[in-house]
Amino acid sequence: MTVAIRATDLVKSYIPGVRALDGVSLDVTCGEVLVVMGPSGSGKSTLIRTFNGLEPLDGGELDVLGMRLDAAHEEHQVRAIRKRVGMVFQQFNLFPHLSILDNITLAPIKVQKRAKAAAEQRAIELLDQMGIREQARKFPAQLSGGQQQRVAIARALALDPEVMLFDEPTSALDPERVKEVLDAMRQLARGGMTMVVVTHELGFAREVADRVMFMDQGQVVEISDPETFFSNAKEERSRKFLNQMQH
Amino acid sequence: MNRWLDRLITLLLAALIGWGGWSTLHWLIHGADWSVVTTNLPLYAVGSFPADQRWRPLVWMVGLVLLTVLTLLGPKRIGWRGALPLLWIAMAPIGLWLLVGGLGLLPVGTRDWGGLTLTLLLTAGSGMLALPLGVLLALGRRSALPVLRWSSTAYIELMRAVPLIAVLFFGQLLIPLFLPPGLEINRVLRAVVAFALFAAAYIAEDVRGGLQAIPPTQREAAEVLGLSPLQSLQLVVLPQALRIALPSLTNQAVGLLQNTSLMALLGLVELLGISRSLLANPAFIGRYLEVYLWLAAVYWLCCTAMALLARHLEVQLDPVRSNR
Amino acid sequence: MRKRRVLVQLALAALLVGFAALLVNNLTVNLIRTGLGLGFGWLGRPAGFALAETALPYAPSDSYLWALTIGWLNSLKVIVAGLALATLLGVGAGAARSSGNRLLRSLAGGYVALIRQVPLLLQLLFWYFVAFLGFPETPVGGLIKLSNQGIAVLGLNLSVEFCAVLVGLTVFTGASIAEIVRGGINAVPRGQWEAFRSLGLGEGLGLRRIVLPQALPAILPALTSQYLNLAKNSTLAIAVGYADLYAVSDTTITQTGRAIEGFLLLLASFLLLNLLISGGMAAVNGAVLGRLRRSR
Repeated sequence: MTVAIRATDLVKSYIPGVRALDGVSLDVTCGEVLVVMGPSGSGKSTLIRTFNGLEPLDGGELDVLGMRLDAAHEEHQVRAIRKRVGMVFQQFNLFPHLSILDNITLAPIKVQKRAKAAAEQRAIELLDQMGIREQARKFPAQLSGGQQQRVAIARALALDPEVMLFDEPTSALDPERVKEVLDAMRQLARGGMTMVVVTHELGFAREVADRVMFMDQGQVVEISDPETFFSNAKEERSRKFLNQMQH
Repeated sequence: MNRWLDRLITLLLAALIGWGGWSTLHWLIHGADWSVVTTNLPLYAVGSFPADQRWRPLVWMVGLVLLTVLTLLGPKRIGWRGALPLLWIAMAPIGLWLLVGGLGLLPVGTRDWGGLTLTLLLTAGSGMLALPLGVLLALGRRSALPVLRWSSTAYIELMRAVPLIAVLFFGQLLIPLFLPPGLEINRVLRAVVAFALFAAAYIAEDVRGGLQAIPPTQREAAEVLGLSPLQSLQLVVLPQALRIALPSLTNQAVGLLQNTSLMALLGLVELLGISRSLLANPAFIGRYLEVYLWLAAVYWLCCTAMALLARHLEVQLDPVRSNR
Repeated sequence: MRKRRVLVQLALAALLVGFAALLVNNLTVNLIRTGLGLGFGWLGRPAGFALAETALPYAPSDSYLWALTIGWLNSLKVIVAGLALATLLGVGAGAARSSGNRLLRSLAGGYVALIRQVPLLLQLLFWYFVAFLGFPETPVGGLIKLSNQGIAVLGLNLSVEFCAVLVGLTVFTGASIAEIVRGGINAVPRGQWEAFRSLGLGEGLGLRRIVLPQALPAILPALTSQYLNLAKNSTLAIAVGYADLYAVSDTTITQTGRAIEGFLLLLASFLLLNLLISGGMAAVNGAVLGRLRRSR
């Protein structure tokens, strides 16, 4: 079992004295789906954003796919990681001035220097896989939230990443649109993708996760397999949280 | 609203409009003498450009009018439309060549440039210099590097504090003082440079407004895809920011066209300048109203055409509206 | 990373300093050639030119400094009057564009569409040469006396030049203010109109007491920049021969050849004027927002 991401004692604070991440350590193995849960403000989004350098660290160190990242990292180190780690945001963050196809082919053409035709063919395949092939020529504003988020997944996949990070991918969606996005993620997990998913979707966690990590106040409270976590969580704080979620 | 008050206002306004219309009509029939306009049309159009070469600025202006009409009213067939931006861009070098001469055309000195031709040239020339400069200044003002940020901010704020006429006047006066002795820049070019330096400060603020409207998550999304900071600026942030800034940039462009009239005070014979010299001619003494109305109509038409073209561009650049 | 940033900045600073040094070097060479040098001693010498309009006693034997001060006061006079009148006209026209009376609405719309697309300089020339100089002498109701020598209102004697600049600036800036006011009014939710109408309030009263106060926070910042524009535009007074700060500076520079010093003085005067206007508007802004907050 190779380790995809190893975090050692991560520290991050936005306001002096208040730690958003307070000594977080964990391993994510290749091919694993890790679901991160926790109340808002628990540091779970901050954590996943450190994995590709979006949040610079104040302390500790990260090993992402064999590349080191710490408080003193350089810009080119971050970019090397980003080329191999895909990310999907809560608010989709598609580029509104580009068509769906251009959104997906932008990075392959400009960063990986792929031929336009090849990049477009790959984009169409990915859109097909996401079930929205017919939207290729449209613009983001013309799509529903669920469709936009599937485009965002396709955009991240177009760079053939080895790890995918999901930061609350369904939180901004209408309830009836959540399933189509979760289905796409399920399919990705079945394909063996290494995934770190911050989400409140209990059903998804129970069914797809290999492990569930619970965070509170910038610290890891527990990491368990889903069955243990949902039926017999070890920590009082986890049980309280689950209780609130189910009511 | 009170119905009686409403009627009273309508009645008063109607009386006012009626009186104004009647006096205008009376003046048009009995008082107005349009010979000051009709006999001097070539002067208004091209200034004192040599008579046998007048076709050159005229060809350029007719080209501009045709392009405007084609862009606004032309058939919506795709093949035609694709060439329009290129044609617009080509109008600048073509215009310069037609006016300056060379390459088979008789050279004409800038002293002989004038009228509407000079007005349009000043506008186009300074606009094309000011836009890139303004974008750079806006980026400089938002830079993380303090030296760059401070110097851009200082430039923008100082330029915006002084009146344009002062910038133009001192541009004519001071630019030669700061240049090595012996190096002379001609007056039209000096005016273009001064206009561009001035307008860039205002354009910078409009572009900065556009940049501020782009959520930081757009840049994040671009960088997560591995785009370099420069690429994310060029491919993701700037195109969106410029589109947002387009309406205020249009206002700047219209303002620029109107402001070229200030060069009349500094001795260039653009549209307003040539009219001032005509009014000084004893043959046309006192014909202020005719000349000013005629000028107002020309300026109004040019400004309105520019505003319409900009509206058109706005619709073209709106992905959702143009993607039908 | 950090080292590179410092290096880039140092290079930039060096470039700026080098450029400035080049300019200053050329300047010194040129100044030595013309034998002028830099200095402000000439400010104390007699100006030698007359001014048509003076708020305080002035004679050609007075110093350049005093002449420039008179010009500054003349600028201030026309700017302050212009600000007041343009605001009245602009708010009136802006409100008229949301009025229920169709004729009034389209008249205000026509005013804005016409005025904003014609250069201010042309408008000033029109007001001066056509409207005021072309005016036949008429006493209007004994209160206002119009003639091409000037205008007397209630014993107040105003020169034709002053009136032309004032009216030109007012009409031009009023159109821009009208647009701002209309934008501000449109930004107030329609529900507010329906609310006061349903309470039986009249259109004018509702506009004054309900809609405008809510539109003010959006209007005031844009209004400030229009005020600054009006101040800067007042320098076009030179076209009709009104002795404002810029016109006096222009004459002074032509006589003395002191372009650099003249420019620095003009720059300083305008920075002061801008500061006065933005400072005043910031105070108004604070007072208005404070009142709105307290009234909630």
